[in-house]
Amino acid sequence: MAIVANTTIGSERPHHTLWGDAWIRLRRNKLAMAGGIFIIVLALAAIFAPLITPYDFAHQDYSALLQNPSAKHWLGTDGLGRDVFARLLYGARTSLAVGIFTQLIVIGIGIPIGAIAGYAGGRVDNVLMRFVDVMYGFPDLLLVILLKAVLGGGIYQLFLAIGLVAWVNISRLVRGQILSIKSRDFISAAKVMGGTGRYITWRHLLPNSLGPIIVSITFNIPRAIFTEAALSYIGIGVRPPTPSWGAMIHDGYDVIFASWYQVFFPALAVALLMIAFTFLGDGLRDALDPKMRR
Amino acid sequence: MAKEVVIEVNNLTKYFPVTRGLFRQKKIADIKAVDGVSFAIHDGETLGLVGESGCGKTTLGKCMLQLYRATSGEVFFEGKDLCQLSDRELQPLRQRLQVIFQDPYDSLNPRFTARDIIGEPLIIHNIARGKEYRERVAELLNLVGLAPYMADRYPHEFSGGQRQRLGVARALALQPRFIMCDEPLSALDVSIQAQIVNLLADLQEKFGVAYLFISHDLSVVRHISDRVAVMYLGKIAEISNRDEIYKNPLHPYTQALLSAVPIPDPEVEMKRQIIVLQGEVPSPMSPPSGCVFHPRCYRAFADCSNVTPLLEDVGDGHHVACLLYEQSRP
Amino acid sequence: MTALLEVRNLKTYFNTQDGVVKAVDGVSYDVNRGETIALVGESGCGKTVSALSILRLVAEPAGKIESGEILFEGTDLLKLSGDEMRKMRGAKISIIFQEPLTSLNPVLTIGRQISEGLEFHKNMSLKEGMQEATRLLKLVGIPHPERRIYDYPHQFSGGMRQRAMIAIAIACQPQLIIADEPTTVVDVTIQAQLLELIRNITKELNTALILITHNLGIVARYARRVFVMYAGNIIEHGNALDVYRYPCHPYTAGLLTSVPRLDEPRKTRLLPIDGQPPDLIAPPIGCSFQARCAYSMPQCQREKPPLLEVAPNHYAACWVSQKEQRPWQKKSS
Repeated sequence: MAIVANTTIGSERPHHTLWGDAWIRLRRNKLAMAGGIFIIVLALAAIFAPLITPYDFAHQDYSALLQNPSAKHWLGTDGLGRDVFARLLYGARTSLAVGIFTQLIVIGIGIPIGAIAGYAGGRVDNVLMRFVDVMYGFPDLLLVILLKAVLGGGIYQLFLAIGLVAWVNISRLVRGQILSIKSRDFISAAKVMGGTGRYITWRHLLPNSLGPIIVSITFNIPRAIFTEAALSYIGIGVRPPTPSWGAMIHDGYDVIFASWYQVFFPALAVALLMIAFTFLGDGLRDALDPKMRR
Repeated sequence: MAKEVVIEVNNLTKYFPVTRGLFRQKKIADIKAVDGVSFAIHDGETLGLVGESGCGKTTLGKCMLQLYRATSGEVFFEGKDLCQLSDRELQPLRQRLQVIFQDPYDSLNPRFTARDIIGEPLIIHNIARGKEYRERVAELLNLVGLAPYMADRYPHEFSGGQRQRLGVARALALQPRFIMCDEPLSALDVSIQAQIVNLLADLQEKFGVAYLFISHDLSVVRHISDRVAVMYLGKIAEISNRDEIYKNPLHPYTQALLSAVPIPDPEVEMKRQIIVLQGEVPSPMSPPSGCVFHPRCYRAFADCSNVTPLLEDVGDGHHVACLLYEQSRP
Repeated sequence: MTALLEVRNLKTYFNTQDGVVKAVDGVSYDVNRGETIALVGESGCGKTVSALSILRLVAEPAGKIESGEILFEGTDLLKLSGDEMRKMRGAKISIIFQEPLTSLNPVLTIGRQISEGLEFHKNMSLKEGMQEATRLLKLVGIPHPERRIYDYPHQFSGGMRQRAMIAIAIACQPQLIIADEPTTVVDVTIQAQLLELIRNITKELNTALILITHNLGIVARYARRVFVMYAGNIIEHGNALDVYRYPCHPYTAGLLTSVPRLDEPRKTRLLPIDGQPPDLIAPPIGCSFQARCAYSMPQCQREKPPLLEVAPNHYAACWVSQKEQRPWQKKSS
């Protein structure tokens, strides 16, 4: 009878799942970890903003207009006497909310459409992907503005507008993933076992596409945040007095010669957050890429 | 001893259309991957299927399991023509039709543990759950020479040979009557290949499963098969009992294949004359006229480019498709 | 006669996430002028790395040649500058890779790729180079070479690409060609064509050849001397006739009995080697084959056996063999 094969390999090395392995690689990437920590700290600061700053983001103090940074107002005040630091913290709420909620929409639309196109193939794939191509052809910002005009003001409409434009990327990615995984032998094996299409999609195709999806979302979040900032900058984003970094840059621009830091701090915040997500995304991509395993 | 036929292939063809065009795709040609193939495999028997890459041997195997739907022809299994059944009707039959793939890296889901992999067929067919499920998996691991404590490991923690054992265990989980083995050794090292060959042989003896053993390695095929079929460009060139075909190969292509296999013995090799075939396998999109092998054949004559030879019995179940033997008969 | 190439105590290691892989751990071999030797072993045994080390093509920074000497016509290749090494590659030593599709440049015509080396090493003009390329393609058996030199690699079939690789390898008439599993990705009938071609060309040009393969049959057919590698070491070497008839290492003997042979009566069972090669990050203290060996003695677990002459011109790294007991030879003699 079959001999129990010598089973030394594997037993000497620590036992890792693929996710555990990716986590180890991510942890070794200093830039990615710095990005991740920055995002977490910012998120915590945004959530606990009332505990960190005594000022309300909308409170106007006419006795302290356009002040320079001081012990009282860490980053100074704006043209209406509002505390810039407080507005930055509350503005982070807007940015992060945009990042998260748009991605929920992206996941909800993009993944099913990509998965259906990739799995069904043929005519279904053709129709869906041509539609995606058309969406892809339009300049993103223009489309968001158009949608925003149709949907009307309000922050939820803003999430929706950005999300409805941003899903095309991920649906293309998911389709590509599904197509490449579909041709692998373990899918054939599952078919031979009698696995149905739905079973194969849920058990095999989607879990194996998860890595690239996570990476893509990590890169998509800063794009959405930037879109919101851009929209708010041109005045069709979130409505005042809700603080938004984009709107703050816009307001600061008017007084740039009187007090340059009105532009500088929110711009710095946007830049840092974008960089943080980019580093994290790069790190995740390297960590989740199975080819990186020796 | 006449054993029952497990699976029978009748005049099977599989053409892949080559299309062109943006919206309305127009067919411009066919790739004739499998072109009119017939044979039967009996209970507990191994049919070796040899041929070079692109000869259609894997496509043929996939058509038998309905991973590809054949263009025409029949595949009989347990009295039913699988080609006529819907996916749903196939489902219960699939328990007794299994597969082992070539690449043990590609054929196991990297996010599954060994238990998930081996137990998958049990879950799909709702055969075992809970404690019974875990016991059955442990039993299967034992059967293929792996230790039950390895059930929680992921494929990347196994060596190539061990992964192929997992593939074998998965194929066996439902106690099939027929397993298509698609080049199950070619990704493994020599010393490991022998382990898997012995494992397959043991399991056949134990469970009486029939194999279609697809391979390009003629030495291994001789070792493991009861009968051997040689394929060239989508057609069967020669099929016979193992001993007969290796002792008395009739088709010039079979002869050349056997001659091309180097024997691991310098003394033998020094004395050996080998037939080196000229040219390469033509595209199955535009196969040569007449006998598809004639442009490379060292014994071809005028008729070979016009007349298509039929696979005919030359005695004792030795079938060959070659005009050399059609003419020699009365 | 001094050897054309002498590799002495070569160590090439790789740094990985899990630790240092000792891919080649103290390997020595030599090649004489015009001679064909074979490096044989299973995947991961270090045969390819040891040959790539000759050309200093081991991918840095992960891989590094730790120590050793590689004497080619008396000069140590490991001491050459990058520029001097470039003048060696292709001109005096060339290589044929396993996968021609990835080793040919997809955006250059075949003719250009052959001519490139000639322009660099032999100071030929492009025109002369292309003329020579046509001649070489004809030599390696490609029909209509005058037209095919303008083709790109994707227009060639697998077998023809490998022929083109051979043409590139012989273009500057090197003294040594390294063929790294040259026929693993092609079919048996094409394999026979290519190997016959390589044999005829090396004979004609009196080029030495290092044939790297896992296929014992190919070694038997083409190589005079054999070096068997296992877990980063050469564990046996000698004339092919001796090694095949009287294997002096149980691993070699095991390999030979584990493959079915077409010229022998069919066996009912194969005799595999149990287990698998050791982890090269943490190799065992004694003999690296000890865990899989049916003949191992207590000494095998404690001390690593040196490679010693166990018969005239026949070396083996095995304690059992060095005591002149070779129980595994009973069957083969």
